[in-house]
Amino acid sequence: MSGFGPSDYSAMALSVKVALTATLLSLPFGFAVAYLMTFNKFRGKIVLDGIVNLPLTLPPVVIGYLLLLLLGRNGWIGRTLLQPLGIEVIFTWKAAVIATAVVGFPLMVRSIRIGMETIDRGLIQASRTLGAGRLDTVTTVILPLSLRGIIAGSVLMFARGLGEFGATIIVAGNIPGVTQTIPLAIYEYASSPGGDVMAMALCGISITLSGIVLIFHEWIGRRMDRAG
Amino acid sequence: MKSIIRKCFYMATFILSAVSIHPASIDLSIAASLKEVVTELSNDFANMKPAVSFKRNTGAPGALATQIENGAPCDIFFSANADWADYLMKKKLADAGSISVLAFNELVFVGKSGLKVNGLNDVVTLKKIAIGSPKSVPAGEYAMEAFTKADLVGRLKYKLVMAKDVRECLMYAERGEVDGAFVYRTDAAIASRNVKILFIVPQRLYRRITYTMTLTGSGAGKKEAADFYRFMHSAHAKKVLVKYGFAVK
Repeated sequence: MSGFGPSDYSAMALSVKVALTATLLSLPFGFAVAYLMTFNKFRGKIVLDGIVNLPLTLPPVVIGYLLLLLLGRNGWIGRTLLQPLGIEVIFTWKAAVIATAVVGFPLMVRSIRIGMETIDRGLIQASRTLGAGRLDTVTTVILPLSLRGIIAGSVLMFARGLGEFGATIIVAGNIPGVTQTIPLAIYEYASSPGGDVMAMALCGISITLSGIVLIFHEWIGRRMDRAG
Repeated sequence: MKSIIRKCFYMATFILSAVSIHPASIDLSIAASLKEVVTELSNDFANMKPAVSFKRNTGAPGALATQIENGAPCDIFFSANADWADYLMKKKLADAGSISVLAFNELVFVGKSGLKVNGLNDVVTLKKIAIGSPKSVPAGEYAMEAFTKADLVGRLKYKLVMAKDVRECLMYAERGEVDGAFVYRTDAAIASRNVKILFIVPQRLYRRITYTMTLTGSGAGKKEAADFYRFMHSAHAKKVLVKYGFAVK
């Protein structure tokens, strides 16, 4: 354990920070998209469904590269929006958050949708006939009843975020202490002679973190089952 | 049952004989900065000896050495330093005594042409600088060596983007995602017009960049590999190396 240096500890902290921020930022959007997809019929629904789920099957490298082309100094958003505002994204931890958010978003939406689909439509109609507005129904009926899906989705997305590598290494680079997360540190150790011990130690940390998250996921699920 | 075993035996003999009539293949593990020059020279060699074919694997020499250590097929190992060849030697994976000097290079700093950077002390004023990861990329090791000698390590902390090999460094600079990058003079020569050499890192700050070539255990036992190894020391090879900007003495 004592073999870890400052950059290894900052990699651990950064992994958690990036995954947590990406998950929290995605929550409102994830909820909105899931709501839209579950309770509404509209034109282009299939297209939205496709776009939301695409990162699930696309290689993360593709996502990273497209984000780089979009947000980079010569990129479309990068040049027209970020540069004039003086915002730097590429090769900062913000880029890691964006990459993680895009890659993990479909997992969150899927879980929330599953939660929403199990809600008894009768309850929603009842709340409407009793005079609740649309927004009221969302906050007092749909939100509490899909809580399990929301938590499950957040946990899954957080876990996926801890492991994000392909998109992150392209947009966030590999700056020890700034953007180097656990997977990036492992990658660096694994490709340097004599780095096996450190790579294995960080793998151990990675497995432990993932284990904790999965146990938490199970525990929440069981608790909810009993409560429901 | 017996006939199945016999069939399997015939099949195995057939497959093995099919392999043996294939042209001899030489596996090369090549430092990223040598990619073009070794590709050209191995093509020259293959043209002279049509029975020989090459498999070329390029990357950071440290990463290549790790691959070899883990059993990746490699007959000749090209590195931008002697350290990783020595490392393989210690692990008994390289043919002792076959490590030889191939060429020399220089470390330069590349960036946008408008940038007012004339020496190492100006680099600390920049925001993001790409170097090869010193754990596996010699170009990054040489750069760190220069930072240490110039006592700039502390002021460059958190500014250094660690690239997986020297060509990725160059790519970061070309795309403008970093302000500049430490690469070899030969890499700068093939860079796009967006970037140019802003200064040459003074030689007194780092060991001379020395490319080495080493036969691995499998390469030492392969006649074609030994032939190519000698070919790489020929006058023709030297001429091609010089053409790409490497120094040969």
